[in-house]
Amino acid sequence: MAAPPEPGEPEERKSLKLLGFLDVENTPCARHSILYGSLGSVVAGFGHFLFTSEIRRSCDVGVGGFILVTLGCWFHCRYNYAKQRIQERIAREEIKKKILYEGTHLDPERKHNGSSSN
Amino acid sequence: MAHAAQVGLQDATSPIMEELITFHDHALMIIFLICSLVLYALFLTLTTKLTNTNISDAQEMETVWTILPAIILVLIALPSLRILYMTDEVNDPSLTIKSIGHQWYWTYEYTDYGGLIFNSYMLPPLFLEPGDLRLLDVDNRVVLPIEAPIRMMITSQDVLHSWAVPTLGLKTDAIPGRLNQTTFTATRPGVYYGQCSEICGANHSFMPIVLELIPLKIFEMGPVFTL
Repeated sequence: MAAPPEPGEPEERKSLKLLGFLDVENTPCARHSILYGSLGSVVAGFGHFLFTSEIRRSCDVGVGGFILVTLGCWFHCRYNYAKQRIQERIAREEIKKKILYEGTHLDPERKHNGSSSN
Repeated sequence: MAHAAQVGLQDATSPIMEELITFHDHALMIIFLICSLVLYALFLTLTTKLTNTNISDAQEMETVWTILPAIILVLIALPSLRILYMTDEVNDPSLTIKSIGHQWYWTYEYTDYGGLIFNSYMLPPLFLEPGDLRLLDVDNRVVLPIEAPIRMMITSQDVLHSWAVPTLGLKTDAIPGRLNQTTFTATRPGVYYGQCSEICGANHSFMPIVLELIPLKIFEMGPVFTL
């Protein structure tokens, strides 16, 4: 959980905690996964009911669909989020290196131009 | 530091803590889904019209509720082990600080480049300045550089203590007669608080830890290198 915002900083979104502990607003990918899970649950449950007219079994399918779709979206989103964080870190390091070493023999651009001309 | 009534984790100040927060989110999502399933099963149990109490054969269900939890545990264990091994990576620290627990204060020793040793006592409420944090601020903070791997050697002179700083994802026991080691790299400057995390007597709650993390250039101008 973040510290209270300083004056001038954008305010933290009000946290909505599902079942009292899952903070969907401030956990990356949680809101997206739960929303798609809910949609998947409704589609699966309602679709099953349309074909079979069995209420209880359709509810079971709906709950199962919610769990599977939420889990699938969660893993997919977290994988992309992790890839994005790694790319951001690499970009940050490269920018820092460029600022530090520009014009010196350690300049990454000079090394890259030197290897391409060879 | 934590704000009033905070239940969740503090913002990360080290890469390991970022990984721990990610793992915590992952585990919480799995727990949420399991709780939803259990709540649904409870609802079905309470609303069923079926009253046969002699059912004794449910092979498929028993297979499912054995294999599924095993799969869930593997999904939780793999990221957990990854972080566990990440915390033990060898990374050639730039600085080593010794932290010694006493009843009821900490002693810090910067002996790499000189002989800086000092005690860190909690500021009593009567000595607090406006803006100081009650029960958290100390007279002498541990000043350290950011973006440099730092090794903390932790021990105790009397009873068990534990040196903990939540925002860095650190908690290491201070055991008399034993030297425990932890390493970390802070990613952003600031003042970060922790508290003794092993019951150690009457004033266990009154021996906090305060780290002041500053840029390396400013750190090099300080008493660690000039004393």
